[in-house]
Amino acid sequence: MTLDLVIQQLVNGLIVGSFYALIALGYSMVFGVIKLLNFAHGDIYMNGAFVGLIVFSFVGIWVGNGWLGVVCALLVSMLVVGLLGVVIERFAYRPMRNAPRLSILITALGASMVLNGTALALTGGRHYAFNTDLGFAGVDISTVHITYTQMVLVAASIALMAGMQAFVSRTMYGKAMRAVSIDMGASRLMGIDVDRVIALTFFMGSALAAGGGVMAGAYYGSVHFFMGFIMGLKAFTAAVIGGIGSVPGAMLGGLLLGLLEAFGSSLPFVGSEWRDVFVFGTLILFLVFKPTGLLGRSVVERV
Amino acid sequence: MVVSFKRLACAIALAGLALTTMAAAADIKIGIVAPMTGQLASEGQDMENAVKMAIDAANAKGGVNGDKITTTTADDACDPQQAVTAGSKLVSEGVTAIVGGYCSGAVLPTLKIYGDAGIPFVIIGANSTKLVAANQGNAFLANSTGDMQAATAVELFKKNGYKKIAVVDEGDAYSSDLAKLTAEAFKSAGGEIAAKETTTAGEQDYSAVVTKIKSSGADAVFWTAYHAGGALLTKQLRQAGFQGGIVLGDGNNSPEYLEIAGSAGEGVYLLSPPTVDLLSGAADFKAKYKEAYGRDAGAYAALSHDVGDLIVDAITRAKSGDQKAIIEALKASDFKGLAGEIKFTDKNTLQTSNFRPVIAKGGKWVAVE
Repeated sequence: MTLDLVIQQLVNGLIVGSFYALIALGYSMVFGVIKLLNFAHGDIYMNGAFVGLIVFSFVGIWVGNGWLGVVCALLVSMLVVGLLGVVIERFAYRPMRNAPRLSILITALGASMVLNGTALALTGGRHYAFNTDLGFAGVDISTVHITYTQMVLVAASIALMAGMQAFVSRTMYGKAMRAVSIDMGASRLMGIDVDRVIALTFFMGSALAAGGGVMAGAYYGSVHFFMGFIMGLKAFTAAVIGGIGSVPGAMLGGLLLGLLEAFGSSLPFVGSEWRDVFVFGTLILFLVFKPTGLLGRSVVERV
Repeated sequence: MVVSFKRLACAIALAGLALTTMAAAADIKIGIVAPMTGQLASEGQDMENAVKMAIDAANAKGGVNGDKITTTTADDACDPQQAVTAGSKLVSEGVTAIVGGYCSGAVLPTLKIYGDAGIPFVIIGANSTKLVAANQGNAFLANSTGDMQAATAVELFKKNGYKKIAVVDEGDAYSSDLAKLTAEAFKSAGGEIAAKETTTAGEQDYSAVVTKIKSSGADAVFWTAYHAGGALLTKQLRQAGFQGGIVLGDGNNSPEYLEIAGSAGEGVYLLSPPTVDLLSGAADFKAKYKEAYGRDAGAYAALSHDVGDLIVDAITRAKSGDQKAIIEALKASDFKGLAGEIKFTDKNTLQTSNFRPVIAKGGKWVAVE
């Protein structure tokens, strides 16, 4: 590989990695607080993209198809889908909170199918165009082309993640979240409204996924009911690599996964069809040799 | 007395029936088999209408060899089981020849029925290579099979002066097969395959593959899979500043492609089956069809009309309703219709591909002249 190619793949990896990181963050937060692998998270991302597209088509009439429209779509979608996350938690997961771990895992699968099936029924499996005026203009560094859109996307997702990290580590609610994730019962005894903290976690995680969905929809220009499936898988992988339950771990895992994919496509001697083998092989290696991920703490099983 | 009168009436009626059947048998009867119900009923309706249009025109000119041609339609609903029932019905009605067939899956089990009965059968839409293998010699494929698309692709590459091609598929049986066939055909035609890439269906980010294609120095990209991925790939290639040509396989023949790809789709080539909108000589046919049936001619109407003409032509050359003679006449066909030339190989498939390249201009597919 020439240097240009390495730089280009680095850029590619960072862009797709920042999407993975956004989605992985929500995955990881929910897991941290109620130890649930929320399989519906990928579908939340897909719903976010659809809500964003609907808002975008409406506000586009007044503000055009440029950045303003995308930002409106982003904010509204994050709010609406964040609330959807709260509703799912309230009706699907809360009644199961004291049930065996497997039951709630299956509930999560069910929630995923409900969201996915509803989207399929409503859209008829059509691929919708998310056409923006963002364009392909950008800067060229030798043969490497980086569009302004790509720069803004990466900056926006880093800002969202940094905001989230600040919220979790600096605010009272963040402290409550961390307390609940360590010991739910003790937190309740300390006067923390556990239900509220969990609802807040779902709101924030879902809002981040929706933000990722709108950005991905606008960036790639297409939205369909199945787009959350692969994204959910990748976000899970990113969360595991980074250390599930850890906020900085999810970010690191996402970026790392993006880079693994970009360079996995350019492996010497084999073609790009081996990329997923390479990526998910890495996941298996992590699960076997370092299940706590890069930044995860080893969990001491309470007896 | 009353009873015997009834008997007499019955006898007369029966005799009359026998006479009319005999008269009908002297005529040429063409069976049309198509999906008249179910999801693809609209295509089936088009096929029936277009074949009838051709046959009505022949009858208006005095029929073939002095005989009038009649038609009878059987509904296969694109369902293998119903297709067998429909096929048996046509055989028992004693048809001279059969045309039609839209879904390969529904046509496949009927090949034996028609083959055993020795009835000439011209298949209009169905084009799986499995049909070629199951053919007993009486069936003819009037639509190009998948592997002919590779030939059309290579022809387009050469015409546009592409020397190095990147082939991209989605890893499924259809698209990887087309990618492989095209790569082989292009190599043996003296071209170079700069890259052969595979993407994952359902994924949105193709940037890593795009970067590889760009750095491989390919003049053009050939995408063999479906429109959803095709639109994303097109957009991302143009976004990365790829200036070369983009060619799409027939799985991209969808308005959704143009919607999603937007301005990035401009100037992209598509290998299309001979749909009526893209045929330059079909304007007159389209107008007549609309006048006769009150609806727009669908994708396969032109090819169905050609097959109607073809069977009339074959029966004329066979100089009788003899089925063996008609099969021989079909084998020797040298026919030029709206959708292109129909000449058969020794396997009863088309000699020349009827796929044709079209180009995206102003958000529409238009024929490449």
